[in-house]
Amino acid sequence: MSAPILRAEKVSKRFGGLKAVDEVDLELAEHEILGVIGPNGAGKTTLFSLIAGSIPPTSGTVRLRDRVISGLPAHRAVHAGIVRTHQIVRPFGNLTVLENVMVGAIYGKRGPVGARDRALDVMQFVGLAERASQLPAGLTLAGRKRLELARALATEPVVLLLDEVIAGVNPVEALQMADLIRKVREKRGLSCILIEHVMPAVMALSDRVIVLDAGKKIAEGKPQDVVRDPKVIAAYLGESAAKEVGKPA
Amino acid sequence: MRRLVPHWVEPKALIGFIVAIAAAALWPALMKPSVYTQNQVTITFALIAAALAWNWLGGYLGQVSFGHSAMFGVGGFVAAKVLLAAPVPFAWAWIAGGLVAGLYALLWGHPTLRLRGPYFSIATIGVGEATRLIFTYWEWLTGGSSGTSLPIEVGLKQKLYFWGLGLLAVVFAASYALRKSSIGLGLLAIKSDVDAAADVGISSTFYQDLVLFLSGVTVGITGAFYASYISFIEPGDMFGFERSISFVLMSVIGGVGTVVGPALGAVVFVILRESLIARYPQLYLGFFGVLLILVILFEPLGIMGIVFRLARKVGLVRPQIVAKAAPGGAVQE
Repeated sequence: MSAPILRAEKVSKRFGGLKAVDEVDLELAEHEILGVIGPNGAGKTTLFSLIAGSIPPTSGTVRLRDRVISGLPAHRAVHAGIVRTHQIVRPFGNLTVLENVMVGAIYGKRGPVGARDRALDVMQFVGLAERASQLPAGLTLAGRKRLELARALATEPVVLLLDEVIAGVNPVEALQMADLIRKVREKRGLSCILIEHVMPAVMALSDRVIVLDAGKKIAEGKPQDVVRDPKVIAAYLGESAAKEVGKPA
Repeated sequence: MRRLVPHWVEPKALIGFIVAIAAAALWPALMKPSVYTQNQVTITFALIAAALAWNWLGGYLGQVSFGHSAMFGVGGFVAAKVLLAAPVPFAWAWIAGGLVAGLYALLWGHPTLRLRGPYFSIATIGVGEATRLIFTYWEWLTGGSSGTSLPIEVGLKQKLYFWGLGLLAVVFAASYALRKSSIGLGLLAIKSDVDAAADVGISSTFYQDLVLFLSGVTVGITGAFYASYISFIEPGDMFGFERSISFVLMSVIGGVGTVVGPALGAVVFVILRESLIARYPQLYLGFFGVLLILVILFEPLGIMGIVFRLARKVGLVRPQIVAKAAPGGAVQE
């Protein structure tokens, strides 16, 4: 395996007495899709915020290639090449779909020159081209999640953090979104970290999965192995269920 | 040919702008207006410029300031001090006043702009009042509550008409550029969602500070212009809460967040004030209060809201344009 593109070393975030993220190590290889799963409140989104620069870690470092990016303000992290999407979509409601994507293109790594053309390319790529002049409020939830993805892609990142881009949409749209994420990796050469509750999607998309529970990493490995791990089952369903599953049939 | 102006300049807007400025420049020679009328127009130019500059912060970025009189006054008194100390051309003194006002804006704005929603507005009320009290106390600069007189030049007011027009032209062009260039999209994004804007690479802090600085410089220059125009200034008038409110009123009546709205609002404001202040000196502010409530309740985009509504009826305006100006970046449908 080549050197990881992103490496988090013992990152922790403490909110008062609560350890939201507790000494998590994480490596992301080039062109890899890494799934992050865990029960509600496990610290998945906080981990994203630490990596994307929205909040500084209490301790530990995150490196993108050789550069330390933890503690950078969010906009500098974007310029370094790492961008996140939001679990609850946050389109700029006062801008058209095209302008939303253009904001990403203008303020991302490559600057305002040719931003409009690059934005149009990205919109074609995610399948929003016909919606260019609409306001985001006119899109379906799946459409707004695509927009969130398009806006992030327009900043020309090398690492993409996807926070529940599949959850909440209907099964057909979920399949389309999963295809789109694969396409992001293949056609645009990105590495992705994916937080997702929809287990079939995580299983199908991820090369590797890490499991968080109460801020700690409790398992890591291939998706099909991880979901059989008694610790993981215990975290999701409780100890007794874990024993139940562990019994020979 | 296309390279002469940036790609975001709409030809129609450019032509309209040039025609309007040319017409205003020729007006005194062609129509021979009375001195009183021409002077009223001169001071209206300056007030329009101030309203437009207030709108960069309050409209484009959605950070409503009730303390812009602070920069108006600082600009006015610094320019007056410069003009009294040295025989420099008055434009230099205005620029000096504007720069000091811009720096003063950064001084209080850099920390307070991190406040969100109404908290920023509340802070600006404090800034405005504190500035008024400090400058009233600083008699060496302002002459205290008895004020300061500026050197008087013969024929100054005739000259100021054209200076005012020039100032307005520059500020109007800046208003347009701030909105239509790529910076404009960034400002609208910040207004809509500061955190999401940061997550696509926008340095919200930098752009908020930049816009406040530009707004402060412009309002400061306007204050300096006003000082030259009336040639006697005192802190109660320059720094008064009434003056801060007047900038808000002009923008709100005309259409917060739109490019031309504040200009229309300033004209309406001046005309209404002139016709009311003589007849109902105690009541005219109350009248503006009622107007403000009516606008906010029924037409949040003011005059421009009515214009958009009419234009949409005949199919000239798409709802997107309205959404951009909408307060708080919310979509109004």
